[in-house]
This record gives sequence, C-alpha cells and structure tokens, in this order.
Amino acid sequence: MHGTRARSVARWAARSALRAAVVLWASATLVFFITRLVPGDPAEAALGGPGSQASEEALAAVRERFGFDQPLIVQYGMAMLALLRLDLGTSYSLRQPVAQILGDTVPGTVILAVLALLLAWVLALALTLAQSRGSRVGAAVGDTVEIVASAVPHFWLGTILIAVFSTGLSWFPPVSTGTPAGLVLPVVTLAIPIAGFLAHVMRGSLDEALRSPFAVSALARGETETGLRSRHALRHAALPALGLSAWAFGYLVGGAVVVETIFARPGLGRSLLQAVTVRDVPVVTGVVLVSALVYVVLTIVTDALTRLVDPRIATEVR
Amino acid sequence: MRSRLRRSLAPAAAIAASALLLAACAGEPEPAATGPTEGGTLVYASGDAEPTCLDPHVGGNYPQALLATQFLESLVSRDADGAIVPWLAESWTVSEDALTWEFTLAEGIEFTDGTPFDAEAVKANIEHLQDPATQSSTGYLAVQKVESVEAVDETTARFTLSAPDSALLESLSQPWLAIESPTGIARGMEENCESPVGTGPFVVDSWAKQDRVTLTRNDGYASAPGDAAHDGPAFLDGIEWRFIPDSASRYAALQAGEVDVIDNVQPDVLVQAEQSEDLVELDAPRPGSSNRIELNSGKAPFDDVAVREAFIRSVNVDDAVASLFQGTAERSYSPLASVEPAAYSDDSLFSYDIDEANDLLDEAGWSEKDADGVRMKDGERLTLTFPVSTNQSIPAEVSLFEQLQAGAKEAGFDVQLDLLDLASWYSALGANEYDLVSAPYTKVGPDVLRILYHSDGIVPAPSGYFANHSQIDDPAVDALLDEASATLDEADRAALYEEAQADVLEGYYILPLYDQQNHFLLSTSVHDARALGTVSTPSFAAAWLS
Repeated sequence: MHGTRARSVARWAARSALRAAVVLWASATLVFFITRLVPGDPAEAALGGPGSQASEEALAAVRERFGFDQPLIVQYGMAMLALLRLDLGTSYSLRQPVAQILGDTVPGTVILAVLALLLAWVLALALTLAQSRGSRVGAAVGDTVEIVASAVPHFWLGTILIAVFSTGLSWFPPVSTGTPAGLVLPVVTLAIPIAGFLAHVMRGSLDEALRSPFAVSALARGETETGLRSRHALRHAALPALGLSAWAFGYLVGGAVVVETIFARPGLGRSLLQAVTVRDVPVVTGVVLVSALVYVVLTIVTDALTRLVDPRIATEVR
Repeated sequence: MRSRLRRSLAPAAAIAASALLLAACAGEPEPAATGPTEGGTLVYASGDAEPTCLDPHVGGNYPQALLATQFLESLVSRDADGAIVPWLAESWTVSEDALTWEFTLAEGIEFTDGTPFDAEAVKANIEHLQDPATQSSTGYLAVQKVESVEAVDETTARFTLSAPDSALLESLSQPWLAIESPTGIARGMEENCESPVGTGPFVVDSWAKQDRVTLTRNDGYASAPGDAAHDGPAFLDGIEWRFIPDSASRYAALQAGEVDVIDNVQPDVLVQAEQSEDLVELDAPRPGSSNRIELNSGKAPFDDVAVREAFIRSVNVDDAVASLFQGTAERSYSPLASVEPAAYSDDSLFSYDIDEANDLLDEAGWSEKDADGVRMKDGERLTLTFPVSTNQSIPAEVSLFEQLQAGAKEAGFDVQLDLLDLASWYSALGANEYDLVSAPYTKVGPDVLRILYHSDGIVPAPSGYFANHSQIDDPAVDALLDEASATLDEADRAALYEEAQADVLEGYYILPLYDQQNHFLLSTSVHDARALGTVSTPSFAAAWLS
C-alpha cells in the first residue's frame, strides 16, 4: 500500500513538472508569433509613437539593437535560447531589463490578487452558508446575487465603487496611495465577480452534499443543521471551488489589467497593457510567462490540496 | 517619506487657512490679495501615456514635453501672443543670407548638476539631437537644416544652416529641443532617460515606473523665460507627477483632494466641473495643426474635388460638435491651431448643405444608388475607409465621427469606421488603405503646414510614416510653402502661409473640426500656474499652494 502511494506521488510529480514545462514553452511560442503577426513596426513604436516621426537612422539603430532585421525563425530561436538561459531580455520601450520590470511590478499584482482571492473565498463561504437553507426563495435570491456578481465587468464595478465610496462617502481614496486604505476598492472590485462565481459553484455542491446519505446519517447521529453544514458538507462543497482557485487566480491577473488602470496601481496588468500598445514583445512575453508560471504552480498546488482533502484521488490510477 | 508627511499635513494647513479666510471674508466681500506662499508639494495627475524616457530628445512626444517643461528649458520661448521671447538665449542675430544665426546666451546659468550652461553645451545638445544613436525624431526633424553649431566664445553660439529656415526660432522653443547638461547626456542614454539634467525650476529626483515622477525645487533657479511674471526659484517644494490613466479616476482623485491638477480632461468631466466652486479650468489648445479630418486626394473617390466637397457639405459638424463636446470645444475652419498668429480661416467653405452634396455627387457621376442607398459609379460603391486611432481620438471624437458617418450616409456615402490601436492605424496609413483620417500634429509655428501639405510629405519614411495624409500634390502649394520657409520677414511669411492655407481649404482637402483639445483642471488652492506659449504645456515655475 505504501509503495503504491509513493509511486503514485512520484508519477504525479513528474507528470506535473512535464506539463508545466510544456505550458510555459507553448505560452512563449504563442506570444512570440502572435506579437509578430499583428501589424505595426515595433521599432517605430519604440521611438515615441504618435506625433513623432522616426528617422531612417534611428529606426535602423533600433532594429539592429533588438534584432528586428533578422529572419523571423532566427528571432524565434534566439528568443527561446535566451529563455532557456532565464534571460527575459530588455524592454524595447523602457530600455530596462524585463526581469527588473517584472520584479518591480509583480509584488503589487500578487498582493492585489491574493487579497482579492481571500476576500472572494470569505464572501463566497458567507454567501453559501447564508443562502443554502433549502428555501426556494432563498435559492432564487442567492442565484441572482451570484450571477449578477460574477457577471459585472470590473471597469463598471470599479467606477461605481469610486463614485460611492470615494467621491460620495470619502471613505477610501479613489486611486492607489501606497497605503492599506488605497487597496480596499481595488481588492473589492476584483473579488466580487470571483466571489459570485465561487459561491455559485460551492452552493451547488453543498446542496448536493446535503442530499447525500452521509448527511442523513450525520443528522441521525445527532449532528445539528449548522454543524452538518460547516463540519461535513462544506468540505465536499469546497472541493470544486478549490479546484477552480487556480483558474480564478488567472482570471484575477486578467482583471488586474483593468483594475490597475482604473485605480492607477503599479502592477503586472498595467505593464502588459502598456507593452501591448507599443508592441514591446519582451515585456509581453515576460508578463505572459510569469502569469503562466503562477497558473501552473497554482494548478499543481490545488491539485495537491485536492489530493489531501479528498484521499480517494491520491490512490486513483490515472 | 518626508514628502508624504508634508502632504498629509497640507490639508490640515489648508483647512486652517480657509477658516481664517472665511473669518476674514465675513466682514468684507473682497479679501485683500495675499502674496505667494512658499512650500508644499503639488500633485499633478497625468492621463497621458507614461513616457518611456524622460529625455525629450529621445523620440519626442507630448507626454515627454509635459514633464520636461518642469525641469528643462529651451533657448527661446513664445509668449501668449505668439511672439518669440528670450529664454536661455538673451538675443540673436541672423546674417543677410539667413544661413548664419548667432545666439548670445544668458550668463551665469548652471545646470542642476553644476555644469555651466554655455555655447559648448548648446553645441553638444544639437549634436545629441542629430546623433542617430539618440533615436530622436521630433527634435531631429526640427534641426534638419542645422549644419553645424560653433561655440564662438562662452556665451556665443553660432548656428550654420544648409538652407534658410524661417521656423528655426519656433523649432528651438519646443521642449523637444530643450538644452540639457552635457555632463548628464554623457552618462549615456539609460541614465539620462531616468533623470535628464536641465536648468529648469525643478529637478528630477526619482521615477517610480507606472506610479510617479518626483520633482524637487531647484534652489538655484534663475533663468525664467522672457514672458514670465516671476523670476527666481519656485515657491513649491516640489511636484509629484502621477500617472492616472482612467479619466473618471483622475477626476475622482481631484475631487477627493488626492491630486491638485489633472490633464486630459474630457468634455463630460469639464461640464461636471463647471458646477464645482473648488475647481478652475485651464484651457490651453495645442499649437500646430487644428484637429481636422484629412481627405485622401491620392486615390479614388477623393481624387475628384467634387466628391471631396460633397463629403464636406454632407456632414453637419457644428451640430455634432455642439452636442458631443457640450460647449467645451469651439469649431475651427482653419488648418492651423487658433493659437497660431498665422492661422487663416474660411467658414464659408464648410457650411452644411445636403442638397448641394447630392447635386455634386450626381454631377460627378455617382448617380446610381444600390439597395442600401449607397451611391454607385461604374459598379463601384462610394465607400470611404476611415481608420481611427483610439490612442489619438478621445471617446467624444469617436462619437463625433460616428455622427458624421450617419450624416454622410444621407448623401449616399458608405463610411467605414475602423477603430484601431496605434500600430494597426499607422500600418493602415502606410498601406494607403484610407480615404479619411484624423491625425493632429503639434508643432510651434505655421511651418507645420510644410510638414502636412508639402508633396515631400507624401513620400513615406522607411517606417511607412508620412505626414501629408491628404496627399496634396500641388506645385503651387509646394512653392508657397518653400518660399515661406525661406522668408524671414514676419509679414511676408504670414502672407505666404495664408495663401497656402487658402489653397488647402479651397481644395477641400481637409475638414477642420476644432483646436487640439488640451484642458486642465486645477484645484482652487493652486495659484499662478500657466500654460507656456510654446506647446501649451503647464508650467509651475511660479505656482504656489494656499
């Protein structure tokens, strides 16, 4: 039994590592070709954009410096080799190493996303426990709240929150100030749609768990309704939501593009937006790779957590 | 840390001050004007893209100019009436053949790194602009006719030109040609992009990317331009220059008192702000071209002047501007910005007349209509491709184009609006895949007409970039622009530019809309800020906070 368990874990680890490598390579390749396929000369974009005309000499200097004059396949090969050496290159537009740009902006986004995910979980648990009382009206209200919450666009939610809690009530600053108060509105903006989604998934599984035989036997053993929900059924309900957390994190990084722009927070999302605008391929690649890496790591972690929460999976032969 | 503390104390001080003021007001309606107060940090929130390099010699765009105005200075400036005034250069003379210019420089000025400002520094700066390695585009183009600069003595810089250039002073007044410390430049591009060194009222202290540039006062400042009311060091301790891309957030930050000044104020926000007693507007339209729609005369259907006129007659610009800009933008009938003394207008050419438009199209052979009501000629639909850059056109302007599109439909034009990002937009223009386009051009002086309407401007640069989007190829216009470029006499020069503008307008090559909008909102606690007469960037050299 122990041998099977260890072998199963080792196989799982090896498979995860391989999958991670493939995802990262595929992301890097996709982003390389997509950024080359779109129209526009990155050399010109790097020289000031609107209202400024680049001279032939200036363009040539930029092209040579960044290798734009090489054939595409050579550029791709060079880019992949550099990535293997963990060299993310230099930003076309900011003239800074991409690693440094990421180092400066990743923490802001990670703080934002982690807090938003935590808040989303708290809100989702609260929503789930509060509204799965079996009443049909309660379920309908819960459904509506969750669906509306998960469907509101970030830019709308952010603008409304600023209008109410900043311009109206003056509780929180409308833009990032580097203080904890400045984090509140961006975190809430990011958390609400995710919370709606998680709650929706969780409540569905909770209702299912409450209808299963173990729930009946727990009640028969004298467990209270609340105890049943929080001690027994919630564990089952949380499983699918836990599995979705890695996905949710990816969604949060996407949402960060909008939220960081609205609240003027430095971060990965704004780096990405600016880089895409000026066709700054190294920065776009860097941001995509970091996001892919976080996604891969989180998938592995939630996978591992799921194996812990649900021992049935660990011994399953896949 | 210190500046943050100061900032958090500032509101308390402001409340105390306004309480005193209120007490004073109670008795008399007009409180005596108080002089400027020293100290405090002004917080500026910019909606423009964050520059990728703070040295405006590199590339050269408006966001760079906005920031550079705070810490760099040029040889000359331009006052509110459009006259060139001394700045780092006290006076200048030009030779009979207009090929040699001698600038006498202000004495005793130092860059903030201690390097003396002298003729060698001027020479180093022009050479920096002309060096391909600098990757300058705006400044590079402006000094194309400068063959060499010679430091005759410490305070005399002699410019030798390859051809007469009546726009030289206007070019030199622009922030993209500001004079930087040669020692600073010698540090290399990486470092000079982070913190260029000038002679201006403020100094770049630090730049936290995506967040803010921190500027501190230059205590040794002594080189205000000729039209400045205040000479000597700034009253402010410094400026926090923040980047807040979202228009609504920027305005919310201003209302919340987080920031003191915002730029890129949109029409809807301007209208809201009119209700507020705590905000003041600074309307500083940019120089150079007006915002206008250019009609591509280089290919069908706009190679026919009748079709161009028909399009212009078919759209009701006045009503659309009035409804979408809600009184914040004034209609223009000129190729040039209203701040240009040489601007020439002719509103008679642009009156809305749908019947006239229909007649013109009938006569031009576009007399059939297909099932959608779009006019046809020899089996061709009257389709107009209109690529729109969402980076250059604000939402109100995009809506304006949509209204014009609906108007032109009445006359049988099928206008295809394509909203594009900047790179795709440039590439559509480079491929000549457009019939209509709107691309304002900011430059000091009427020489912008040469860039936009001379046939040389049709030939694309290696990047595909060209400026003559109307593709005007008229020897008469070329001759006028060439002559104006070589004519130093102000009156003669203005007359030539007027004639060239009349040709452009009467040929229905462009549909002028309004000035390049450049609105700022300031908290009433900010005093004596002004926009420079050059490229209308705000200067806080004399500003103070109450």
